[in-house]
Amino acid sequence: MAAKAIHNNIRRLRFDRKEMTQQELADRIGVTRQTVNAIELGKYSPSLEVAFKIAEVFDVPLDEVFSYR
Amino acid sequence: MSFREKSAWISFICILIFGGFYGWHAIRVEFFDIYDHNPMVYVFGTMGALVALEIALHVAIAMQSPRDARTPKDERERLITLRSSSVAFYTLFVGALASLGLGMHLPGSNRYLMAELLMTAIITTLLVRFGTQIVLYRRDA
Repeated sequence: MAAKAIHNNIRRLRFDRKEMTQQELADRIGVTRQTVNAIELGKYSPSLEVAFKIAEVFDVPLDEVFSYR
Repeated sequence: MSFREKSAWISFICILIFGGFYGWHAIRVEFFDIYDHNPMVYVFGTMGALVALEIALHVAIAMQSPRDARTPKDERERLITLRSSSVAFYTLFVGALASLGLGMHLPGSNRYLMAELLMTAIITTLLVRFGTQIVLYRRDA
């Protein structure tokens, strides 16, 4: 059985919000652009607090941003 | 490259230069008995010059990206700092034990040799700390 991993839709959600830049998202959730990039690439799993902030920025439920499969 | 990564590079290179100067001094004194300079002036003078250089370079990168410099570390950057400090702790632990062991058991060793070995362990620890940070930043970890 393949190991589960955390996936995210941040790239698509940014695209849907008129190509919101990584820097803009980073500024709104209080992290660096490099951290947003690492989250987007699945190389860094954010804290619950940052995950909720991202969902809040996009105005969607948390499970629309992140999934575990 | 982020401000923090640039900062890690600056610290790494400055410590590497200091390590080179210090190693050159230690080898000359320990292996060739060359005492053509005051060791305290040499070591602390070099250290002072490199601290000044490090501050100047940090000011330069802060002026280049003032917003990044003002922003406090975020959770990922704090985690990278913690992970690098953890690796550095083990390096220092092993280095200190090795310095004590070698300093006590090497034939002809004295307190100066032990101090030089400890200094080498400290320099190595700092290189490992900033080197680990650079690797983690490079990997987008």
